[in-house]
Amino acid sequence: MRLLPLVFALLGLTAQAEEDVFAPVREQLQTCFSCHGEEGASTNPEYPILAGQEFYYLYVQLKDYKSGLRDNPIMGPMASGLEKAEMKLLAEYFSEQAWPSIDYQATPEQRQIALSSISAGQCVACHLSGFEGNSRVPRAAGQHPQYLELTLRNFKTKARNNSPSKSSLMGSMSDEEIVGVAAYLGALGSN
Amino acid sequence: MLIRKHAMRRTGQTLSGVALMTVFCAGASAEEVQGGTLYGDMHVVTQDMLDHAYGDANNFLHTNGNYAQTRYYPARQINRENVHTLEKAWVFETEVVESMETTPIVVNGIMYVTTAFNHVYALNAETGEQLWHFKHEMGPITTYCCGPNNRGVFPYGDKVYMGTLDAKLVALNAKTGEKAWEVELADPELGYSETMAPTAVDGKILIGTNGGEYGIRGFVKAYDAETGELVWNFDTVPEDSKGVWATHDATGRDMMRDITAERVAYEKNGDPYKTLGGGVWQNMAVDRETGMVYFVVGNPSPDLYGAIRPGDNLYTDSLVAVDLETGSYQCHFQYIAHDVWDLDAVSPPIITMVDDGAGNQVKGILHGGKTGYVYVHRADDCSLIRFSDPMVSQTGRWTLPTKDGAPMLPGANGGVEWSPMAIDPSLNLAYAINLHQPMTYHVEETPYPEGKLWLGGAFKVIATEQQWGNVSAVDYNTGKIRWKAKTEQPMIGGVLATGGGIVLTGEGNGLFKAYDSASGEILWQYKAKAGVNAPPASYNVGGNQYIVVAAGGNVQLNYPRGNEIIAFKLAGR
Ligand code: HEC
Repeated sequence: MRLLPLVFALLGLTAQAEEDVFAPVREQLQTCFSCHGEEGASTNPEYPILAGQEFYYLYVQLKDYKSGLRDNPIMGPMASGLEKAEMKLLAEYFSEQAWPSIDYQATPEQRQIALSSISAGQCVACHLSGFEGNSRVPRAAGQHPQYLELTLRNFKTKARNNSPSKSSLMGSMSDEEIVGVAAYLGALGSN
Repeated sequence: MLIRKHAMRRTGQTLSGVALMTVFCAGASAEEVQGGTLYGDMHVVTQDMLDHAYGDANNFLHTNGNYAQTRYYPARQINRENVHTLEKAWVFETEVVESMETTPIVVNGIMYVTTAFNHVYALNAETGEQLWHFKHEMGPITTYCCGPNNRGVFPYGDKVYMGTLDAKLVALNAKTGEKAWEVELADPELGYSETMAPTAVDGKILIGTNGGEYGIRGFVKAYDAETGELVWNFDTVPEDSKGVWATHDATGRDMMRDITAERVAYEKNGDPYKTLGGGVWQNMAVDRETGMVYFVVGNPSPDLYGAIRPGDNLYTDSLVAVDLETGSYQCHFQYIAHDVWDLDAVSPPIITMVDDGAGNQVKGILHGGKTGYVYVHRADDCSLIRFSDPMVSQTGRWTLPTKDGAPMLPGANGGVEWSPMAIDPSLNLAYAINLHQPMTYHVEETPYPEGKLWLGGAFKVIATEQQWGNVSAVDYNTGKIRWKAKTEQPMIGGVLATGGGIVLTGEGNGLFKAYDSASGEILWQYKAKAGVNAPPASYNVGGNQYIVVAAGGNVQLNYPRGNEIIAFKLAGR
């Protein structure tokens, strides 16, 4: 990565690089940062990390908040005024930031229960073994466990209803499993 | 993993990814060609070569060996007497460590392999040396149910063709790896995507689609091999999909349908064809005498919740034949009407002569079902001649899914998964690999979620129950199982049989084994670092026969991942 500035310079792209493609959403971004942290690198466990999250996943979530498909009293109003083009820019912005490390550890018991639950649910068929995210599948590795736990529970109770197959799967998971899986995923990537 | 994606990220916030890709691609193409002079200019694959692939002991041109998809390779240099001396000739490591399902294609000493996330490599088949490397520039929307897999390229003329996770068909220059053209097959936002290798014939590229877990409407399309223009489209789900309200499956078991309730729902809501699924994600068999194209159609959407899609859900879970020139419907046979278990039809069909039950040899079609049976059909009208003895336990089949989960065997991965079978026509045997994987089936009422994963419930592996696999040899003229070899884990990948009297297939624990085709005796084995869960191929270069297979593990069954293409030849050669 250190070589990149050189590459840009060689290609004469420096001028282009100075144009701010995110100018139309800079103001909104400041609002987002107030909860989700600078550049989306949230340090508050109540607010999910957006920095380095998948572009398409973020875009779909914003659309779903706006339409009410993902029903949330904070994010609903936040997204209600956004146009599709703005959602895409916001999603693009966050997807290009570096994922921050939250340096979290799970207990051996949590790890064990998580691994058996993940195996029964065949989670890696979509998430892949690193849970690093890809396109429509969000990154879960290194996300705040508190948020993960909440969102897994919300799937289970259908308070979060914008991915029905997740609700069916979480519906079959016990409380203990949900806590364990959230902790395990939160700790992925921290040693 | 995901090297390209990470490279594109955080590279200065305002530079578009496209400019950056140009930089990387320029680097890749500098490594290009040496292949052109290696064996003369023999990259071009003619229709004649493809038509005679069944007798070609030098090349491996088709994903499944030949248009009949027999996976019976005629060479016998490596055979049941000497296979115990088989040893590693070379290993090539790809850049992507993730599930590998590629069938290596070999054209005059040049090998083409693909990886997860749509990389393509051309290799010197004698040494494993890289000739070129192509990385598909992936769009933002990819979809997969069971890993970011790819099953390989198809070579035709001076190009090789590949389907992509963002639902494109890409044509590459076979000599250089440069992209000649690409077309979008369908809207990836709705869940369309590609993992299968295409099939090329008579100037057309045939390809189906994934998406049975997303409420797509399945298809098989034919594109012009030169221009990428659409020639025809066959919708795997007709506008009238209700069928005959069948109560029993192909093996005669009661599927426990509530036909009365379904009829009421059908009257009230109309035909569910628009979001009924029916993906086709394995290659088709082509009968070059009759011009019929045979393929199997996958599960209805949503997988488990049937009430929302009343009727037989034609032509899901079926063998279907269409005309090669026009794509028009010829015949079909449905294995499971109104499937609510995801026990669809996936493993690629095979054309071979079979006993019609009255002592006559007729042209037949074989299919290894996710139910765990080998089905034998007449090729002329798709009708069922016989089904084999079950290769796996059928405990509780059929049990309807429930809210809290009902156990049943086979589990939703089958039976037999997508894994292609092979046959040995001299023994009348079909070789299938099986899974014994108990699962619970959970159903939940779920309206169409507009392009999101749509299972209508969940499948769960029963962690406390033992799992295993088999390699089964089935006499397709009688339906009897001739031999069966048990494996430590459920099997996924594929089989190759050869004129040397051996059957080759790999396992999740990294073992790659050669069996005696007639008896099932293990004659040789090799242990790879990752799961060997891809179909093997064979070829001859420089007077030596090679066996080649990818060892990348499998994401669906969570077998250890890797990135190796491994070629074997006899010791001392
Ligand atoms: C007042 C605090 C607050 C502000 C301001 C805020 N968010 Fe959020 N955001 C949240 C909370 C809380 C959640 C979790 C909600 C839930 O459970 O659905 C969330 C969730 C999200 C998610 C879903 C993440 C995931 O992993 O599923 C996205 C995307 C998102 N916010 C984007 C934004 C954007 C873009 C902005 C600025 C326009 C923004 N947020 C501003 C509090 C905030």
